[in-house]
Amino acid sequence: MASDALLRLQGVVKQFGHFTALHGVDLDIHEGEFFTIVGPSGSGKSTMIRLLVGMDELTHGAIWLRDKRIDETPANERPTCMVFQSLALFPHMSVGQNIEFPLKLRNVPAADRKSRALELLDLLRLPQSYYSKRISQCSGGEKQRVALARALAFDPEILFFDEPLSALDYRLRKTLEKELKDLHHRTGKTFVYITHSLEEAMVMSDRIAIMKDGRFEQIAVADEIYSRPVSRFVAEFMGEVNLFEVSTEDGSTLSGAGLTGNAPSGLAAGSKGLLMVRPEYIRFVADGGTADYTVKGRLLEEYALGSRIQYEIETTEGQTLTVEKLREDRTTSALGGEVTLGFDEANTHLIEGD
Amino acid sequence: MPTSRSTRIVLLIYGLLTIFLLYLPLVSVGFASVSRARYLSFPITRYSTKWYAEALESGTVRDLLLTSVTVAAIVTVLSVIIAFFGALAFARYNWRYRSTFQKLILLPIFFPQTVLGLALLMWFNALGVIPSWKTAVVAHLVWIAPIATLIVAIRAYSFDPALEEAARDMGANTPTILREITLPLLMPGLVSAGLFAFLLSWGNFPLSLFTTGADSTLPEWLYAKMVSGYSPLVPTLGIMSVVASFVLILTAFAVMWLIKAMRDSKAAQT
Amino acid sequence: MQRLNQKLGFLSALPMLAVFAIALFAPLIVVALFSIMPPKVFSIANTPDFSAYSVFFSQGYYKSLLWSLGMALAATVILLVICWPLAYGMAKVFKSFTLFLTLAVVMSLFVSENIRLFGWVLTLMKGGLIEGHFRAWTSVGFDSPLYGVGIIVFGLVYVYLPFMLFPLAQGIAMVPDDARQAAADLGATRWQIFRQIDVPLAAPGIMVGCLLSFVLAAGAVAEAKILGGQAVITIADDIETAFTFGQDWPLGSALSMTLIGIIGALALFGISRVDLDQVMGRKR
Repeated sequence: MASDALLRLQGVVKQFGHFTALHGVDLDIHEGEFFTIVGPSGSGKSTMIRLLVGMDELTHGAIWLRDKRIDETPANERPTCMVFQSLALFPHMSVGQNIEFPLKLRNVPAADRKSRALELLDLLRLPQSYYSKRISQCSGGEKQRVALARALAFDPEILFFDEPLSALDYRLRKTLEKELKDLHHRTGKTFVYITHSLEEAMVMSDRIAIMKDGRFEQIAVADEIYSRPVSRFVAEFMGEVNLFEVSTEDGSTLSGAGLTGNAPSGLAAGSKGLLMVRPEYIRFVADGGTADYTVKGRLLEEYALGSRIQYEIETTEGQTLTVEKLREDRTTSALGGEVTLGFDEANTHLIEGD
Repeated sequence: MPTSRSTRIVLLIYGLLTIFLLYLPLVSVGFASVSRARYLSFPITRYSTKWYAEALESGTVRDLLLTSVTVAAIVTVLSVIIAFFGALAFARYNWRYRSTFQKLILLPIFFPQTVLGLALLMWFNALGVIPSWKTAVVAHLVWIAPIATLIVAIRAYSFDPALEEAARDMGANTPTILREITLPLLMPGLVSAGLFAFLLSWGNFPLSLFTTGADSTLPEWLYAKMVSGYSPLVPTLGIMSVVASFVLILTAFAVMWLIKAMRDSKAAQT
Repeated sequence: MQRLNQKLGFLSALPMLAVFAIALFAPLIVVALFSIMPPKVFSIANTPDFSAYSVFFSQGYYKSLLWSLGMALAATVILLVICWPLAYGMAKVFKSFTLFLTLAVVMSLFVSENIRLFGWVLTLMKGGLIEGHFRAWTSVGFDSPLYGVGIIVFGLVYVYLPFMLFPLAQGIAMVPDDARQAAADLGATRWQIFRQIDVPLAAPGIMVGCLLSFVLAAGAVAEAKILGGQAVITIADDIETAFTFGQDWPLGSALSMTLIGIIGALALFGISRVDLDQVMGRKR
């Protein structure tokens, strides 16, 4: 089957006994992109990567790599390679032997293997002296780089990552996220990354797929997923968000959630939807100030988040809203006091029918 | 919970006492082996090493030792091979009958050895096989290979299955994975399993008793002499057998320590 | 991968299974067949008559079975009591001494049990290590404790100590320290911690330890023969005699089947309640 996709999934179903982990998933991954699959635990993302790498067999459907169907091909015959969550570095081999392992399997002569391993150490910014170090002598970040070098030595068509950064501390993770993105640029390889951390996905990816209960909820570029989620799940998964359950009878009068304003243009007469606004787009409206939508509530709590302040407000309808303001824009209202909040339609997104 | 100093000391003394009692009988045997008198009575008045000299010159003793060593060596090699694969089936591969297999492995360990020995004797008889040291190897194997499997399995449990998956992902087939990844990683377990196998076979008598036929191993001969007709060679050979075991253990430890030291110094140079 | 795991699992189990088939199951079947043969035959090509099993009751063999089981039970209870503090020490208190203790106990296992039991004879007999020296110093002698039921139980306790100690220590090591600390913090006494935390969480180890000690002790011969001077005949001794001096294979087989039945039922009951993966520390 000819297609412009490098990797194509068609109706992939995976069942474990009576439990269905993946319900007929379709996906195209393009050459050279950094594609991330994000989902909470139990969403099916780990099952997905094990199928893609060939460590599990799918129940129905097909996986194509360019024009070749590969879902029957065992892992050791697929031209793809994975960086494991545990990294799976061989503890009985040196750093160099680890990196050379895939080359040794292909009977590459020792001298060529070594020069390639040294090149890769350079590429990963590890000193060449690490060649003969033992794995146990490497730090967490160094192990990460060795695992990457080993996967690159394999020279895979696609490089898969199974949450390799999840065990590292915050700062090291941030550094490695950037390095990984940089490595993606420098190598031009196709990266497919699995994570439960949206933050990680946003920093690195070209495109993100959000997974839930064995299905993709949305596949799009990071910005779009953030500003135009297709469902409540995606909206809430992508960080703090305020969602108003709204409806309109006649297409112009808005009702629901204590909001005052006109019905959003996308909302048809007699239908309902979720009006989404991110916390940073809500402002405190003083007496006489204007906004497309306003809502009244009581200031419950405020939290200092470094450069910003986060407020928690309970609306008259009993809904709790989150508002974030820069420090200089903080409100003068006292805790427990009545406030009016406002935001404009341009900063909202309507999720229809959810 | 912090353990008080006095509890710690009491437990320590208790532990030392246990070790003392565990080895006290060997002390008696040791003294007996160097007593000159043919009929032993404590306190020993005259010491002599003549029984050792006699033991070393005796052709019977040489035959006993040879049989014991042969059986133990063959049992060791076979047990280690069976245990390597057995441990993978026990601990590593997720196959349908894994938990059944695990329980099966424990069966011979629970089995009364005397009964097992006799059952094998009848079975060999039914097959028309004349018992000799070779049939004893089979008898030892059915008891020792499962123990060796358990020892290797402990090691197999402690290594990450992702290592094998990673090797497969990079293109390695099953034999390559076994040779390059699994075998080196299980090596320490295999060495201890081999040591256990040798020593357990070396010291075993309930199984040998009925399955060696005309041949006889050292523990078997000792047992026969203990139950009927004392020989002053019993303590002597007992001590020689014990010393041989301990020398083997210490050698094994020394070798392992040496290998580790060599590897560390090699890593430190680079 | 599941398919591959199935295949590899089965293939790697094969050598072990082959050994079991030719050296465990086949002999067991032979024993089972012999047990239903008429008395004193040496071939299974006879008409079965089950007479050997009736001899079990009529000739009082059940007494030796009861002695064996009773002494095994006594030994198991004693072992549980004396091993607990030591196992606790190994799992939670000692540091490098745990390794030393482990090595010392394991090394004692490699000494043939008959040599160790014989050593006790030399230690405890009249004119032995203890009485001999005692008499030499005080010129007062005392009777040897050898050749009685008590000393047989002592021998069982001595020989099977490692089989109780190690599973118990492994079981206690599985009790998380913070659970004990939390219980103490909530006001539990030492006894309450022992009853409510240690015993339930160490249960797999206790189970395996008791099972091993009991089953091995129930099938023991050497303790009664060497230390007990056959003051009591154990069932395994009867089995041995039936085969050797008695030359009655069907009787020996019937006795064996009875012992195997009891031990097998106990072992299966115990093993099926223990998750080996958990006890041995499997990762996933």
